[in-house]
Amino acid sequence: MSGGIIAMMLGVSTLLGALGLAALLWGLKTGQFDDTSKFIDGARFDGEEELRDAVMMEEKKKKALEKRRKDKKIMPD
Amino acid sequence: MSKVKCDHCHLEFDESVMIEDNIEGEKRYFCCKGCQGVYHLLRSEGLDSFYEKLGDTKLNPALAKNSEDLQKYDLEGFKKKYIKEREDGLYEIYLIIEGIHCSACVWLNEKVLHQTPGIIEASINYTNNKAKVVWDPDEIKLSQIIQKIRSIGYNAYPYDPKLQEERAVRQRRDYYGRILVGVFATMNIMWIAIAQYVGFFTGMRKDIKTILNIAEFVLATPTLFYSGWIYFKGAYYGLKNRFINMDLLVATGASLAYIYSIYAMITLKGEVYFDSVTMIITFVLVGKYLEVLSKKQAVDTLDTLMGTAPTEVTVIKNGEKTLLAVENVEIGDILELKPGEEAVIDGVVVSGSALFDESSLTGESEPVLKKKGDRILSGSICIDSVIRYEAVKDFSTSLLSTISSLLEDSISKKPKIEQLANKVSGYFSVTILTIAILTFIGWYFLIGDFERALIVSISVIVIACPCALGLATPMATLLGISTAAKRGILFKEAALIETMAKSDTLVLDKTGTITKGKPSVVLFEKFEDFDFNILYSLLLSSNHPISVGVIEYLKERFNNLKELSLENIKSIQAKGIEGFFEGKKIIAGNLELLKDNGIDFEIESENSVLLFAMDGRVKALFELRDEIKEKAAETVSKIKEMGIEVVMLTGDNEKSAKRVAKEVGIDKFYAKLLPQDKLYYIEKFHKEGKIVVMAGDGINDSLALSCSDIAIAMGSGADIAVNVSDVVLLDEKIENIYFAYKIAKRAFKTVKENLTLSIIYNTFAVPLAVLGFVNPLVAALSMSLSSLLVVGNSFRIRRNVK
Repeated sequence: MSGGIIAMMLGVSTLLGALGLAALLWGLKTGQFDDTSKFIDGARFDGEEELRDAVMMEEKKKKALEKRRKDKKIMPD
Repeated sequence: MSKVKCDHCHLEFDESVMIEDNIEGEKRYFCCKGCQGVYHLLRSEGLDSFYEKLGDTKLNPALAKNSEDLQKYDLEGFKKKYIKEREDGLYEIYLIIEGIHCSACVWLNEKVLHQTPGIIEASINYTNNKAKVVWDPDEIKLSQIIQKIRSIGYNAYPYDPKLQEERAVRQRRDYYGRILVGVFATMNIMWIAIAQYVGFFTGMRKDIKTILNIAEFVLATPTLFYSGWIYFKGAYYGLKNRFINMDLLVATGASLAYIYSIYAMITLKGEVYFDSVTMIITFVLVGKYLEVLSKKQAVDTLDTLMGTAPTEVTVIKNGEKTLLAVENVEIGDILELKPGEEAVIDGVVVSGSALFDESSLTGESEPVLKKKGDRILSGSICIDSVIRYEAVKDFSTSLLSTISSLLEDSISKKPKIEQLANKVSGYFSVTILTIAILTFIGWYFLIGDFERALIVSISVIVIACPCALGLATPMATLLGISTAAKRGILFKEAALIETMAKSDTLVLDKTGTITKGKPSVVLFEKFEDFDFNILYSLLLSSNHPISVGVIEYLKERFNNLKELSLENIKSIQAKGIEGFFEGKKIIAGNLELLKDNGIDFEIESENSVLLFAMDGRVKALFELRDEIKEKAAETVSKIKEMGIEVVMLTGDNEKSAKRVAKEVGIDKFYAKLLPQDKLYYIEKFHKEGKIVVMAGDGINDSLALSCSDIAIAMGSGADIAVNVSDVVLLDEKIENIYFAYKIAKRAFKTVKENLTLSIIYNTFAVPLAVLGFVNPLVAALSMSLSSLLVVGNSFRIRRNVK
């Protein structure tokens, strides 16, 4: 086997692994693994409904913030 | 009667006591109104898939809680303390949710909070039951949020995350990230290294070897500089304070191996050691991470302790009751305590009398009667009636806050004895570094070949450095820990074995450690025949430790005890209980209660007494005592034989302390101690230069536990005690303290033997390396041989302990 092929195989597989590691580190940084049990249960419970809930929460947040901004515009202090 | 399951909490009860309900043609059973309410609520909100997720898990029955205290959550003082106003005007709070049993509970709570208008964000951590909630103060009040959580059968109280939580979480994440990088690199380097090992024996083309070397280099670099950064930092601070620590050894060992490997990679001379670089760093890092984890658990329970303490108290001013934030209470204010409330401010009773549960302060489970003029300590709980008292201290100097702030301090700075292994490796690394430098100088001047001199001196370090010495301590302590674990003794940290082996003083708590912690019947006399079911039913209405003790005794002696229906059951403060059975008056209590009922009876006893009388005639007598655990005396004498001084510290009174001390053979004891007094004694022993092991079980011991060199907690003890401790005894047998000592001493002896072995190995191997005889084959063989010796010797720890 030529050295070039071995180098490429090593490079590609390490890079793929490193990508996975980077994703893991990102998840860690954003606090996704702070609760280990919940993380595992996600596979059991998360479904369409949970996704809808998450979207709903985001919209709710947006609305609340918008409302606050409007209130401030009407009544500047 | 058949037993049926409650449809909400899944606990089983007799069918006769259950509430029957007809929901859509199906019969449902509930154990209480609370459960029924929650079930209906969840159905109407369309959340009944909760029960599918719940499976067979049993919940606490949802008690219908009174909503009186809800108003305190909207008070200004509370807001200042716990609520954070964010930049965008939303409010944020951290809560601890009580009653979470499983992931379905987390799901339900989050779901309900998400559906509540005004709540912007809610996330609950399943592991520690902590929740972060963000809401819009214009739309909803905090009291309404808490009400919502209560309505589905849970409870919530706030905690202050600023205390320790944030720092602990950040540190944990940081370590975890570093470990991930280290593990990733180590695993990948391993399979590359296997190819190289094979290549070493069968021969390998130069270009392939270079490719493999480069791949290892790429993987080892981030491990050394990112994961290993902690060691460089530790070594730097060590050197700055003029001492050589384990961090320095790891850092120099790893970086020298790294530099040598780069040299070997470039010049194609010799073998690379990138695999040892990553392995050293990763393995030692995992050990450090475990320490960080156990610290965080202690922080979690501390938050629970303070979070349940009330933030407002009822103050009587000008004859009117007002709620005042605890911080604003001044000395001399008159405070009112209602049944079930916890005192947060120290004071003296001015009117009324009530029973107080002081178990969190003294460890004694028996309630204490407080009358006018008696002192009330914060942390005690009022049990049965309304009482007024005058504050003699303000909040920050009161006992409860003193204890928790002391505890917070001590978690972060626990005394650590300088460890032998570290000291030896300190000297060792200095010696090796010196030898290496001398070798370099010698070779350079004698041969004049710079490159050859460098290779030889570095090979001295590589051959001497990690293996045997690195393995000597961990291997022995690890085996010590696993041997102990088989007996139900859990050491939380490897380094503790050494501290334990060196200790010369053992401090024992009385209640729960030497004694069983609850009174049990030691004498029973029956004067006249009677139906035991009557007594049993009467006692069931009280949860006083004496009644519980007698009930247990009855259950042991008689099968098929039945609960009969009694009328007018009344509990009489500090005396006993009375009631009526088929028109006859029955009483169970102490002598005073009998006298109050006009019954003459004489008895002298140093134990607690429970008398049972029916229709004015005394039927039976029970004497109860907090019994000493089995083998306590034997254990104490065995520990004394090892040359360890045994001391007893207790919150109980002098008389019973003396009795217990005499029975188990302890000469030195101190009685009537409050938590900080116990701490005082531990510190006193420290000043005398003693190494103190403390064993205890309650909240009252946790302060002293956190300050002793080794803290041993009983597995069923208070959470806080278990978490600040270093060693946990799962089955609470007192003889396990002796075994812990024995195993620690044996493991420590093995550590010393291992160190001697590896030093002997080095005295042979290093000279060979200095003389330049070491080729990779010799290095590999001698390294594994020395490691095998160390491992083999360590396994001797596992033989039986007697």
